[in-house]
Amino acid sequence: MSAENTWGRRYLMCPPTHFEVLYEINPWMHREVPVDPDRAREQWEALVALVRQAGAEVELLGPQPHLPDLVFTANAGVVNGRQFVPARFRGPERRGETPHAVAWFAERGWRVDELPEGVAHEGAGDSLPFADVLVSGYRWRSDARSHAPLSALTGAPVRSIELTDHRFYHLDLTFCPLDDRHAITVPAVWDRYGRAVVDDLVPEPLVLELDEASQFVANSIVVGRNVVMPACPPRVGRVLATWGFEVAVADVGEFLKAGGGCRCLTLALDVDLSGVPAHS
Amino acid sequence: MPAELVEVEGHIIDSLILAKVLDLIVAAGADYHMVDVRIGRTNTDPSKVRLEVRADDEADLVALLEELQVHGANLVGELDAVFEVCTDDGVLPAGFYATTNLPTWVRLGGHWYPVENPEMDCALVVTTNRAPVVRTVPMHRVIAGERVVTGREGVRVDTPERPQGATPFEFMASEVSSEKPKSLLVAEVARRLRANRERGRRLLVVCGPAVIHTGAGPDLARLVRSGWVDVVFAGNGFAAHDLEADVLGTSLGVSVDAGTPTEGGHSNHLRVINEIRRWGSIEAAVGGGYVTGGVMYECVQRGVPFVLGGSVRDDGPLPDVRTDVVAAVDEMRQHVAGVGVALMLASTLHAVATGNILPANVETYCVDINQAVVTKLADRGSRQALGIVTDVGLFVRDLAARLDPS
Repeated sequence: MSAENTWGRRYLMCPPTHFEVLYEINPWMHREVPVDPDRAREQWEALVALVRQAGAEVELLGPQPHLPDLVFTANAGVVNGRQFVPARFRGPERRGETPHAVAWFAERGWRVDELPEGVAHEGAGDSLPFADVLVSGYRWRSDARSHAPLSALTGAPVRSIELTDHRFYHLDLTFCPLDDRHAITVPAVWDRYGRAVVDDLVPEPLVLELDEASQFVANSIVVGRNVVMPACPPRVGRVLATWGFEVAVADVGEFLKAGGGCRCLTLALDVDLSGVPAHS
Repeated sequence: MPAELVEVEGHIIDSLILAKVLDLIVAAGADYHMVDVRIGRTNTDPSKVRLEVRADDEADLVALLEELQVHGANLVGELDAVFEVCTDDGVLPAGFYATTNLPTWVRLGGHWYPVENPEMDCALVVTTNRAPVVRTVPMHRVIAGERVVTGREGVRVDTPERPQGATPFEFMASEVSSEKPKSLLVAEVARRLRANRERGRRLLVVCGPAVIHTGAGPDLARLVRSGWVDVVFAGNGFAAHDLEADVLGTSLGVSVDAGTPTEGGHSNHLRVINEIRRWGSIEAAVGGGYVTGGVMYECVQRGVPFVLGGSVRDDGPLPDVRTDVVAAVDEMRQHVAGVGVALMLASTLHAVATGNILPANVETYCVDINQAVVTKLADRGSRQALGIVTDVGLFVRDLAARLDPS
């Protein structure tokens, strides 16, 4: 029998008030494809409703002008109990987000521990807990070099996975922990060492084909036995049902224009890497 | 080989990052050496590995290091070598770097420069024309004003690894082989000498008098005549007995053909030395027809250079013997460039002296009936020496038969 994730019942989200595609920092972003702000707002509100329905709490980060990607709270940093390790964004476009995230956590009593300067790491977008380790991606947005200090700060062992396909520039587009035995994986866009590591780590993976992964299927939110997904191909739905998961699909099409899905729009606030279930 | 130190840290074992970094190095055709390995003991303990990465040229190395950096392998900051200026001729700065005979690199201005002529127990002198040149210089040869490397900073030595597996040395895995089939060893040495010649490298032979006593003189002379030997180092004794054997047919008074002592033979070599002194040099004696065969004769005939180093117990000595031993070693140094193989034949002191000035990449075969000689050479730092414990007469005869079957 598999046990539910010990985390994923409290999320930080940011309303898409200032969301648009202002720059292109991943292959999904095209400035000539405009965001429909009304549709984005509707989709985001529907997502919030689905996450709440699934049984999770949602807390809000105030939107900021000129920081369109602040909606993608997953990249704000790594949460570990009452510790917050803020991201160090690769590109200058998103670096302005960090002070807002740090302020939010600091005001609410989190201890803010920073990664050393000169290394890039883009938060939970590139680091997701599975079993007792932090699976961390690197290459496009986060540096492999950030993993050792991240491990030192959080006390959690880090398993580094190289992301080999630029379209899947963050780990959370390729990996989604479902419970303590299952995860959605896209090994085709990992290096073979990373594949071997996850193979060893995850007893029963749901391996996505590239066409499935391209629909951001792995970028899903897991709340206990509920999964909120940007898309759910029939095959994936059948497997998830067999494993006892209930699927809800959230249309986040406006956000896909910026290369982000459901998971990218949320940051779990109840991750505790010391292995103690935070929500119990 | 240019090399740099890199460090990988974190859960590099479980993440297979270390395996990946090593694979990348090997796949790039480069090489690595683990300088320091600290493996974390628990799941949360990070591991740390320090690697020396070596590539054929600096551009390849830079490209590889950039790739390794993506996977978290960081360059460990290396410092340039430090040097001090000599204040007196023949006296080194107090903190001078004492060399080994191994391939050595010196870092100057962020680049690694190879030491031109590795030799043990010397100092490293840096000269700069267009590009820096680093060479080994023995203590007595430094000149006031020369820049000498001090301390260990910015100096790197390539550690030789004894060839493993299916290499020509496989059958000689032990350093000294007293219990190996000798004909196999000789065949292998012959093969190595052929390969050496094909690479355009020279063969140096260091001879002791036992080469003549055991009757190997004619065989060695044949090897010189057929062009196998490029340079000869020996002492007064070897040359004297070689000449004695040619002129009087004895070696230390013992008939080389019959093996019987000849009457008054104990003074034979003195008489021959005396005559050569009358001629003025071995070359003159050969030219004048006094000497008509033997190793020294063939050397003169073929223009093979030889250096005869003197010692305090020499009879005569022969006029060609360098009695200033410091000058003798300096002269030997001039002949070691381009040497790929050194054969030490039944010689102790000259073998050790030669071993001292040879770079570690010169294949050295030390043939002696006494295992202690081989051990002595290795103990003095010539780790590349492979010993063959056998009678030198039989060895040289067999070797000549294989190299020059005519």
